Amino acid sequence: MTALAEAPLTVVPPQRKRKIPGWALGMIGVAGAIALLSTTSYLTGVPQLTSTGTIQTAVRLALPILLAGLGGLWAERAGVVNIGLEGMMIMGTWGAAWAGYQWGPWAALIAAAVFGALGGLLHAIATVTFGVNHIVSGVAINLLGAGLTKYLSTLLFFPISHNPRESPAVPKFDTYSAGGLSDWLGSLEADQRVGISDVAGILRGLVTGVSPLTMLAVVFVVGSYLVLWRTRFGLRLRSCGENPTAAESLGVNVYLYKYAAVVMSGALAGVGGAALVLNPGNPGYLEGQTNGRGFIGLAAMIFGNWRPGGLLGGAALFGYADGLQLRSGGKTFLALIYGAVLLLAVLVVWQLVRRRWFAAATGIVAAGLLYGVYYSVDEVPSELTAYAPHLVTLVVLAVASQRLRMPAADGVVYRRG
Amino acid sequence: MRGIAVAAIALTSVMSMAACAKDSGGTSNNAGSSGTAASGCKLADKPPAAAASSSTAGDGTKVDGSALKVGLAYDIGGRGDASFNDSAAAGLDKAKTDLGLKADAVKELTAAPNEAEDAKQTRLRQLATEGYNPIVAVGFAYAESLKVVAPQFPDVKFAIVDGAVDGATNVTPLVFAEEQGSFLVGVIAAYQSKACHVGFVGGVDIPLIQKFEAGYAQGAKAAAPDIKLEKKYLTPAGDFTGFQDPAKGQVVGQGQVEAGADVLYQAAGASGKGVFAAAKAGNAKAIGVDSDQYNQPTVAESKDVIVSSMLKRVDVAVFDFVKAVAKNDLASLPKVFDLKVDGVGYATSGGKIDADLAAVLEGYKAQIIAGKITVSDKPSS
Repeated sequence: MTALAEAPLTVVPPQRKRKIPGWALGMIGVAGAIALLSTTSYLTGVPQLTSTGTIQTAVRLALPILLAGLGGLWAERAGVVNIGLEGMMIMGTWGAAWAGYQWGPWAALIAAAVFGALGGLLHAIATVTFGVNHIVSGVAINLLGAGLTKYLSTLLFFPISHNPRESPAVPKFDTYSAGGLSDWLGSLEADQRVGISDVAGILRGLVTGVSPLTMLAVVFVVGSYLVLWRTRFGLRLRSCGENPTAAESLGVNVYLYKYAAVVMSGALAGVGGAALVLNPGNPGYLEGQTNGRGFIGLAAMIFGNWRPGGLLGGAALFGYADGLQLRSGGKTFLALIYGAVLLLAVLVVWQLVRRRWFAAATGIVAAGLLYGVYYSVDEVPSELTAYAPHLVTLVVLAVASQRLRMPAADGVVYRRG
Repeated sequence: MRGIAVAAIALTSVMSMAACAKDSGGTSNNAGSSGTAASGCKLADKPPAAAASSSTAGDGTKVDGSALKVGLAYDIGGRGDASFNDSAAAGLDKAKTDLGLKADAVKELTAAPNEAEDAKQTRLRQLATEGYNPIVAVGFAYAESLKVVAPQFPDVKFAIVDGAVDGATNVTPLVFAEEQGSFLVGVIAAYQSKACHVGFVGGVDIPLIQKFEAGYAQGAKAAAPDIKLEKKYLTPAGDFTGFQDPAKGQVVGQGQVEAGADVLYQAAGASGKGVFAAAKAGNAKAIGVDSDQYNQPTVAESKDVIVSSMLKRVDVAVFDFVKAVAKNDLASLPKVFDLKVDGVGYATSGGKIDADLAAVLEGYKAQIIAGKITVSDKPSS
């Protein structure tokens, strides 16, 4: 590794040989995150960091972001920038509420996917067939989604709910828990033993009160990976995002693949909207309830380097940070800052081992600053905690953007011929 | 090889399915139980009973408002928000029936979340140029716009709910003593709490909502000096989506229930629905805001947890304003709609407030009106 690091930078960077496969790297990351959280929770005495409730909340808040991000992944892998995710999500929320209050949650899910897919289809027609700038079309779809649902809900919901901005209550999914396992983990968590209780709390949060939608989302993440990276269809779809001309010359129907990807993208964003409507706290459709989550999904996807695993990490980060600040506020958040100091310390040691003196020094300075913040205040002001996930994304993008690699022909209008 | 893998996956999933139990199926879900079965707070001495109330009934004179064209500009949420805007709508509806306001002589427009300032100005200007007079702007968010628009239409009588515009003589401020009403529901919360631990969920961290928190905390402390209080605002000042996000309301409510609070007071607009849902899921109680939320159809499924609501009689204020304009007597309006003029109060629908508690509340109310208790409108910490 050291030899690689010291290689001259003028030549084309050599092919990085991954000794560890991606999934193992992901597992190491997850294990590292858990270890970091439990250490922080132990050292600062804030058990909420790894409590069941926090994790459950994180999952619930991350779900719409994750699904929207997956939608973005499908479109962008086929070379279409989809900034219209928000609009497709709004259409999904309306569809979910409309079908949901009449025929139940499963119908809500399907209707949301269909409505989202319609938004996707529109985006595909505009960008693929007519070659409209992707951003322009996306923005138009955001406006259209908001306007159309406003019109439709005045038309169809108002007579029933007496409120043009809201649907009647939508029945929710039953939640499921892994019976014995959950109780056993609960007792383990209640013991407050170092490490074990934290892991138990996190695991219990993941297996208690799980909505079928959550399971479905996990299936979607794994499924997206398998379809996009392990099938012929996926390879062709991605080739349309990397080099459509080459794909076309090899007989791939680029337009068709782009259409399929963008429609799929819309459907996933729509399901993300359904995740909002079917959230236990929401009575149903409410105007403006997506609240920019489509854009955050897009950010989570970029954060995750246009890969499903990374995207999952990004969505989890947003959900966790948001859940934590909403549930327990500034004090717990301060503990998270302490955690960041610990993380930086580990990174500094790593950089020192790799003899990257400059990076190590920067890390030490940053850690010192953060520790100063941790030491000097009792509670992070709420103005800051509310935007912490966004700040973290900014930092990560600033630091890691050199390594992020978007599909080569992403956002480029492709003309056949 | 692939066959084995498929079989293994199928087997695992079947086994995990078998281990998964449905949450709603029978077994008691101990979510949110605070463990301690304390039977309530150590309560402070009850206030002296109120003297027989001598609230002045309205002067019976009939006012005719059929010549008026009333314009209403709602804040985010609009008619049907189960809260603040609905209350204004109720006042308008009362004006229609009582003052003979014609149905087509009324125009209602609604703001969008995080809209630009000039969208508000356009809305007000539109109403004024179409000949509506008086025009009621519902919500402090219109203050800046009114400052610009009101001088352009000196003959139009404007009113702004929850705000004031300095220097504009044709703008009537309709402000409330929310802290006084919140004080009373704070007392209710202290009396209803079993764990002596109550919660407050605010929509957006702005001075207006802080008034609710301040009054609530003082009321709870007055009734039970060692009560514990959880408080949380959904979004910081400037981000008004906190009034429009039930999912966040639910998360915060659930967090407070798990922290031990068993009576939650929400001042969070449409997000309050999430707070009610969280209270219902956690076997806690909730206190509504602005309107009598127990009777609202949009929160009907969680109405059994709503013990009371802090009434902010925007309807009274809007109605009184329209009436005063019809009589051409704006000076008769109170400076602040407080407990004395029944501008704020508490709801008793649902039968959760028994006679004892009602007597206590009337006692506190009399003391506030008499000035023996002054309720601060700023949170102490």
